[in-house]
Parts: sequence; C-alpha cells; structure tokens
Amino acid sequence: MKYVLERVVFSLFALFILIFITFLLGHVVPGDPAIVAAGPNAGAEKIAQIRQDMGLDRPFHVQFLAYGSKVLAGDFGTSWFTHQPISQDVMRELPPSLELVVVAMTINLLISLPVGLVTARYHGSVFDNAVRVVAIAGAGLPIFWTAILLQQKLAADWQIFPVAGRLSFAYRDFEGATGFYLLDSILQLRFDIFLDVLTHMFLPAFALSLLFTAVGVRITRTAMIGEFRKDYVVLARAKGASEPRIMFRHVFRNGATPSLTVFGMQFGWMLGATVLVEEVFGRPGIGRYAVKAVTQSDIHAVVGVVLVVGIVFVVSNMLIDLILYAINPRKTYVG
Amino acid sequence: MRSLANGWIEKCAIVVAAAVIVMAIIGPHVAPHDPLAVDFRNRLVEPSWTYLLGTDGSGRDVLSRILHGAQLTILSTATVIATVLIIGCALGIFSAFVGGTVDNFLMRIADIWLGFPPLILALGFAASLGSSLEAAIWALIFSWWPTYARLSRMITVDILSRKFVASARALGVSTWRQVTHYVVPNAFDVIIIQITLDISAVMLAISGLSFIGVGAQIPEPEWGAMIAEGRSFTASGWWIVTFPGLMIFITALSFNVIGDMLRRELDPTLTARH
Amino acid sequence: MRFKSVLHFLACAVAAHVLFVGTSLAVPSGVLVIVENETPENLDPANATNSTVNQLVIGVYDTLVQFSAGETTVTPRIATDWSVSENGLEYTFSLRDDATFHDGSALTADDVKFTLDRLQNAAGKVLNDMGPYESAEVLDATTIKLSLSEPFGPFISALSRIYILNQELVEPNMGDDNGRQWLAVNAAGSGPYMVKSYKPTEAVSLVAYEDYWGGWDGNHVAEVVFRYVSEPSTQLALLKNGEAHIAPDLTVEDKLALMGEDGFVVDIGAAATPLYFQFNTASDGPTGNKEFRKMLSMAFDRQLHQEQVLMGFGTMPDGPLPSNWVGHQTGTEIGFDLEAAKQLVDENGWAGTELLVRYLPAIQEEKSAVEQFQSNLAQIGIALIAEGMTWPAQAATVQDLATTSDINMIYNFPSFPDAHAILNTSFNGALTGYNGGYNWAQYSNPEVDALLNAAATSSDPMEREELYMKAQELIGADYVVITVSNPGFVLAMSDKVEGYKYNVAHHQTFNIMDIGLSE
Repeated sequence: MKYVLERVVFSLFALFILIFITFLLGHVVPGDPAIVAAGPNAGAEKIAQIRQDMGLDRPFHVQFLAYGSKVLAGDFGTSWFTHQPISQDVMRELPPSLELVVVAMTINLLISLPVGLVTARYHGSVFDNAVRVVAIAGAGLPIFWTAILLQQKLAADWQIFPVAGRLSFAYRDFEGATGFYLLDSILQLRFDIFLDVLTHMFLPAFALSLLFTAVGVRITRTAMIGEFRKDYVVLARAKGASEPRIMFRHVFRNGATPSLTVFGMQFGWMLGATVLVEEVFGRPGIGRYAVKAVTQSDIHAVVGVVLVVGIVFVVSNMLIDLILYAINPRKTYVG
Repeated sequence: MRSLANGWIEKCAIVVAAAVIVMAIIGPHVAPHDPLAVDFRNRLVEPSWTYLLGTDGSGRDVLSRILHGAQLTILSTATVIATVLIIGCALGIFSAFVGGTVDNFLMRIADIWLGFPPLILALGFAASLGSSLEAAIWALIFSWWPTYARLSRMITVDILSRKFVASARALGVSTWRQVTHYVVPNAFDVIIIQITLDISAVMLAISGLSFIGVGAQIPEPEWGAMIAEGRSFTASGWWIVTFPGLMIFITALSFNVIGDMLRRELDPTLTARH
Repeated sequence: MRFKSVLHFLACAVAAHVLFVGTSLAVPSGVLVIVENETPENLDPANATNSTVNQLVIGVYDTLVQFSAGETTVTPRIATDWSVSENGLEYTFSLRDDATFHDGSALTADDVKFTLDRLQNAAGKVLNDMGPYESAEVLDATTIKLSLSEPFGPFISALSRIYILNQELVEPNMGDDNGRQWLAVNAAGSGPYMVKSYKPTEAVSLVAYEDYWGGWDGNHVAEVVFRYVSEPSTQLALLKNGEAHIAPDLTVEDKLALMGEDGFVVDIGAAATPLYFQFNTASDGPTGNKEFRKMLSMAFDRQLHQEQVLMGFGTMPDGPLPSNWVGHQTGTEIGFDLEAAKQLVDENGWAGTELLVRYLPAIQEEKSAVEQFQSNLAQIGIALIAEGMTWPAQAATVQDLATTSDINMIYNFPSFPDAHAILNTSFNGALTGYNGGYNWAQYSNPEVDALLNAAATSSDPMEREELYMKAQELIGADYVVITVSNPGFVLAMSDKVEGYKYNVAHHQTFNIMDIGLSE
C-alpha cells in the first residue's frame, strides 16, 4: 500500500513538473508572450485581453498558478488558427494516434516477448546471433524512411495495402462515440469496418514498431537470461520439470515483469514518434496536428499537445507499475 | 566479439563509422558538384557516371549533397551529445556529491524528463524558437540531458561508496580532485558506451525533426530534409529518397554495432533510448 | 416549399420514365473526390481570399452575382438585376425570392445586409477588394441598396466573393468575435452543396442541397469530398487507383506522364495568377535600397523557370500584370543579367549580405523558385536564407514592418479579371501588409497610389488603361517585385469527370456545381 501511495505521489509530482515545463514553453518565449499567444490577425484589444488572461503583468509565481489552475480545469486556451478551443482539437486528434500506438505496441509485444524468451533460452546459438544482428540493425532504421519505402512498394506499387488515410473511402461517413475506430466499429458490430481500419493501420503501425521492437527484443532477452540463471530454475530442472513448463510458467512470468516497465516507457516514446508515420501516411493525429501548429506559430496548441502527451505518458507509466504491483506485490520497480 | 561471426560485422561497423566521420571532415572538399547549385535542365537524372547517385528535383547532385550533409548531420549530432554530456554529467556528479533531498529531487526530475518523448518536446521548442537546425539541436539538448545526469550520478555514487575513495574523502581530498582522479577515469567506459549508443538515437531524432520540417531548412542538405524533399518524387526518382535514408541507416547501424560490442565487452547493464 | 420540390422531383421522375433514356435524371449522383495538398484555414467566408477557404465556400454559399467557370464577366445569381445611380455611388439590387438556406428559411435582403455588416465589423479580408464600399440599406425583402463613398469601376465584379450568410442562424452565435469562432467550423449558406462533415486535417464533405433554387437539371454529383493529402506521390497513387478524381497538386513530371496515359486528362487552365518575389521596400535593411533591389531583380532567370520548372505550363511574365490583360504595359521589369548584378554587388561591396525569404514549401513551384534564386544569388556573393511556412503564418509576419522578411514569395490571385484586382492589391500603399493587405513589399509610392485610385474611380476604359500603364512603369522603376511566372492552373483528373472548367475569377477552386461523373 505504501508503494501505491508513493507511486501516485510520484506521478503527481511528474505532472507538476510537466505543467511547469509547458508553462515555460508558453510564457518564456522570445518576444512578447501575449503577442505570440494571440497569434497573427490579433488586434491590440485582443492582445491586451490575453496579457491580462495570462497574467503577464503579475509576478512569475502568480502567472504560474493562474496557468496551472486553468490547465487542470482542462482549459488550454483557444487556437488562433482553428478558432477552436485547443482541448477540443487535441481530444479529436488524440484517439487516432493512441489507436495507432496500441496496434504498434501489440506488434511489438507479439514479437519481442516470444523472440526474447527463445533467444534467451538458446543464447549463444546461431538463431540468437541472427536475431541480435537484426535487432541492432532495426534500431538504426529511420522510421520515416522505412515508412516511405513500405508505402511506395507495398501500397503504391503492389497495392497490397491502402496508400493513405484511416478508413476506406466507402466508409468515410463512419463516426463513433469514442473516436477509436477499432473500438467503435466493434461496438457497432461493423466488423467490415474493423478490418478496414486495421488494414489501414498495418503499414504505419509496423513501420512505427520496428525500431521499438528492436529494442524490445534485446531488453526481453537480457531480462530472461538473468531469470534462466536463477536458482529456482536450476531447482525446477533438477526436480525434472519439463522445459516448456520452466520457460512459460516460471521464466516468462517473472522475466516479463521488468521488461514491461520498459514497454511502458516505450508507449510514451511511440506516441511521440507517431508524427513521423502520420506525416507519411496522411493519417490524422496528434503529431500531425502539432507539426501543423508549429508551422502556423500556434504556440498554445503545441503546448497543449506537449501537455496531453505528457499526461498520457505519466498515467500509462503509473498504471503499468501499479498493475505489476498488483500481480506481484513482492517485487517493486521504482521509476 | 567472437560470437558475432568472428567479429567481421564489428570490423565492418568500425570501418563504416570511421568512413562517415572522415566523410564529414573531407566530404565538402571532395564533392564532385556544388550541393546547392540548382540546375533545372538536369533534374531527376538517374544515377550515372556524371551523377553517381543521380540528381534531385532541382537538378542538384545527390552524392554531393550527401557528402555535405554528412558534415551537417555529424556536427549537429556531436554538438548535442557534447553539450548534454557536459550539462548532464555536471548535474549528475553534483547531485551525487550533495546527496540528500537535493539529490532525490534532481533525480526525480531527471526520471520524469527521461521518459518524455523527445520529438514532442522538440516540437514545443520549435514552436517558441522557430524552425531551424539550431532550434532542433537546442530542443534535443533540452530533452536529452537526463540520460547523462542519471548515469553519471549512478557511477559517482558507486565510486564514492568504495573504500579507497571514502578514505580519501576522510583525508580531506578536495572535491575537484575526487572528481578528476576517481570519478572521471572510472566513469569513462560506461559513458563512452552510452555515447556510442546515443549517436544513432540523436541522429535519428535530428533527421526526423528535419523530415517533418521543423529542423534543417532548404537548401541545407541535411539527410532527413533531403528525404522530405525527395518524397514528391518517389514515383519518378527513387534514388532521391533512397540514398540519404541508406546513409542514415548504415551510420546509425554501425554506431549501434560498435556500442553493442563495447557494452558486451565492458558493461552489460545499459540500455539504449529512442 | 417542401411540397413544391417533391412535385418537382415527381415530375422529373415521370418525365425520365417516359423518355426512358436520353435525358439524365435530375437527381445528383456519385461522389467526386478532390485531393488537395493544403488543409483549409477554416470555413469562414470572411477569409475567402484564401483559396483553401474559397474552394469550399463557393459551393456552399450564394453570392449576388458570380463568374461562371470559363467566363470573364459576372452573371446574376441571387440578384436578378441591378441599377447604378448617375453619380456611381449607389447600387440597387433586386433579389430573387425563391432562394432558401439549407435550413429551409428564405434568403432575403436582410441577410445580405447582415453579411456585409458582419464583414465590416470583423474586418474580413474579402472587403479589401470592395474598394470604397460604405454601407447597405434594405429597401424591402427583395431589394437592397449598397452605397459607396466614391465611384468604383469593378464594384459589381468584387461582389462575387461576398458569400451571403443566414442571419437567423449566425446571429445567436456571433459571440464576441463577430461569429468568427462559430463560422470557422459551421456553415450557414444557401448554395448547391451543404457541409456534411468538416475534419480540417482529413477531409471535408459536401452534399447536394435538394431544394437548391438553381435546380439539378443535368449531370451533377451528390457529394463532393475534399481530401487533404500533403504528398504529391500519395495523391498520384490515389488518383491512379480511383480513390480520387481530381488532383491539382501533382508534380509537373507526374502531370506530363499522365498526359499520355489512358483514363486521365490533364487540363491546363489559362490562369492569371502571377507569382512574385516581393522585396520589403520599407525595410531599414538592404532591400530598402533601390539600387540593391535592382541588383536582385537582375538575378532571377524567368526563362529557365518557365521552361524547366513549369515545363512550359504557363506564359512568360512581362511585368506584374499578365500580358494579355487590358492595361498591360510591356518591358517595365528589368531582365535577367547576372553579370550586371555581379557588377553592382562588387561596386557597392554588397558581397556577404544575408537576406531572408519566406515562402510556402507545400508549393513545389515556390520551392523551386527559391532554390533557383538562392543558387543564383550565391554565385554573386549574396546569401539567401529560406524559411518555409504555411500561408497564415507567412501572412502573419507581414502584418508588422518589423517582422516582414527581406523578400516574400506570394501569388496574386485576382478576385476578378481586371487590372485593378492585381495592381491595386499588390502595389497600393493603403493595402500594405501592415494595413492588412497583400502588398507585402510594404510599397508605398504616393504617385502610384494616386494613379491606382484614379483608375479605380474612373469609368472611362481608355483612361483607366493609360493610368494602369503609367503605374506599371513607376512600379518597374522602383524594382518592387520580380514577377517569377504566370503559371497555368494545371490539374490532372480522371476521364470520368465531366464539366470541369477553370474559373479565372476563382483561382484554385473547382466548379463543383457543374461537374458530373460518367460511368
């Protein structure tokens, strides 16, 4: 219980740091923060209004308090470009990105865990070496480049996968309550749409996952090797337990735990990297929204994205740690 | 070393990495053409003897651009790493020496920072600094320092706990001397490994930022920016996208291999970050 | 109203049955997909000077008068006829009484007044083309009087971008920003198409409005989808596998290749949208110096651009006005002469000067022109630094003299085919960037202003022509811009598309209400 409390307090602290960083991004900018925030086309009246809203004439800590309380209430300001509340924009763009990350993460886990386990069991073998070479190579792949090549060959030339977008044209009217099309299509029992969403997601998710899988395999392998060396494995072997039983019942269960912490971190990094494949595959998403906002000097929209991605990151890490704790309370992995 | 097919992969990697560094130094002097000279009459020329890697959509020689780009890419990567190394280690060692609440506080911040996606943080930076290669470098420095802060703090704490250091401290050896005589030599191996592994990660991040348009601007031949420029021509000029990407890939790959080799030789506990 | 339209449909259906084949059913069918590279700024008709907005609202809203695609004079729309007072200051319009908004309510003179008042309050960019427009007065439900402060020749033409809002719908949503926030994502029009969905990063979908007053005789599409795809290579793939019908932003190479391919048509619209390098003439920096601008003007090779970037899709520029336009003066802009430019650099010791140019990297032609200019200037010792932006961000930088870069790239999209629409927007001192206009050279020459204003208020065509010619000479002598090109509006489309025509008054839009798909 103490651990849970500690973990929650740590997350709250992380949130505080996050808000502070985004505060700096928006309030300490070259030039007048109010003019920057107001965006172009803004008259003196609007700028004065924003200066007051941001509290720029007040002391630093008061500004920060004002900003923090607004953010906690879910108010990230209004985008000068889309004329819409930023929180609304971000909430629209977040589900497609999260969905992509979930699929990419699934690919990552489906490859990393078994391959890591097997290479650990037979480490030093030809297979192990081959996997390691591939994994090292994979960790050097530029995501966007892989994505372009896959798109050009598999989608444009061979037409195996769709070229771009999130849904086939025939389903363009599809709307769901959550914005996660995979979930929405199942809720509406539209399995044709579910498959369609999935085929649109495969190439981007695969391109996104490669680099992370390369790291994931190595992490899992290292963790599992450590586990194979432990006394209880030796003991189980001596007792005559079957090798599959040792691998799956004991080693996998215990060895997967530390790797899961890394996968938790990867979730956040992946969310940050979606921008690279979203650009290539013309998918809507939080990264593309942020890039667009950067080129439009829409600073508060960018800050909103940084903040939301940060929150997703903090929360997902906290959840993973708590889940691991719930599964196996004796082992705790802090931070 | 022995395990990877008698180490020929590692040998190749060292040769390639060395070649890339040499390229970054002498590339601009040996480039056959001007990397910026637009020649619309010779656009989208396939790889040939005149243009070994072809020309791009504006008729510029892809090979010459890659050679010049090597300097940009390597220099910016080196700048990021050198800076985070100094800032990170200074913070880490400071934290270890001070200890207590300050140490705890700093490391908590580093933990949080470490996990945050650098690309998104860099976008935040680009929004307030404007899009340029310099802004991208600043952004990466801003997001990368915790790796070194944590690492150097960990090593320092470990070293400070050793007996001979503890007794040296008791004898009143100055902090500066402790750092230069005990911490730095002992931390060297681990830091070198981390640097090798980070070279590829930082390089991928810089080229990624340039690719989405918030890093290097035209006409700078940064490799990621070259890929972005070549995207319009994937149907009519495959070489424009392929070669810069290949360069990023083999450079990152060779530094990864070297890092992996060093790690297996020296320290098995480190992990790469992306 | 509803009943009437049902009858109308029944009648058509019966007629079609009787004739069986040979006439097309008056029911729109099929989905037209247009792939665009730039995402829309928003849906607000106040921003219709931006083509990404205009291409959407042109199908959604009605105007008093309009240019049909392929024509250079306006024809009646909501206004059935009009009269001009003797002194040229009052225009009285009679409106049709059968136009309804998409919510079924009738379009009246009140809506027209509301629209114009709102544009004035919100300082809408579309008003920049309306010259000395002053106020609107409703005479009765179908009659409205518009007043000017002085005579303005092209006033009727300028009304073609005043998209009429549904007062009843917009008024409750005016907020404290004249409805900008609401209209950015909502529509309130009476045009042939209604906004079905607006996802600005993905796609915008328009569907046919059944009760459109113009009716649906002929071949029309039931739905138009604008898909936003930033990469030309992806756009090409979509066009080729049939997921898109019209693609204006492919690379020139791809368009050339498609010209010879079955199933595709490449249309070359005789556009009049000159592309400029505008020098910041009001700058304290080097471009504030006329001699320096002269040197820059000699350092760009238009011929090369025309032949190798546009691949011949366009006409060679000769000064800021397209050469086939009434009022054009030849030979006002200095030609390409790198030697002479180099000499000026040497004489004045300008070598090593750094300049900043802002441009839109999403547009291949601008990117190529910037690269070409960079390359030429580098040869004579001038470093040109490029900063790629999006349109609204670039537009924002010129609103203040201090943030205006040395050089800006900009197309002039004239709102109507009249010398006024180009010369006044780009060179009148009252329309500088910091005054909210498109004169991004921040150029202000009282003599030029006087000539332009005199030409705008004159009703004598001969006199206007002369005034414009004189203005071009002065502008040329001040080296304000390099006219880079007069590109054609080249788009690739599937051969299933019928009825597409380039609209010179609404550049970079599509006459969706005239387009049908063949099977």
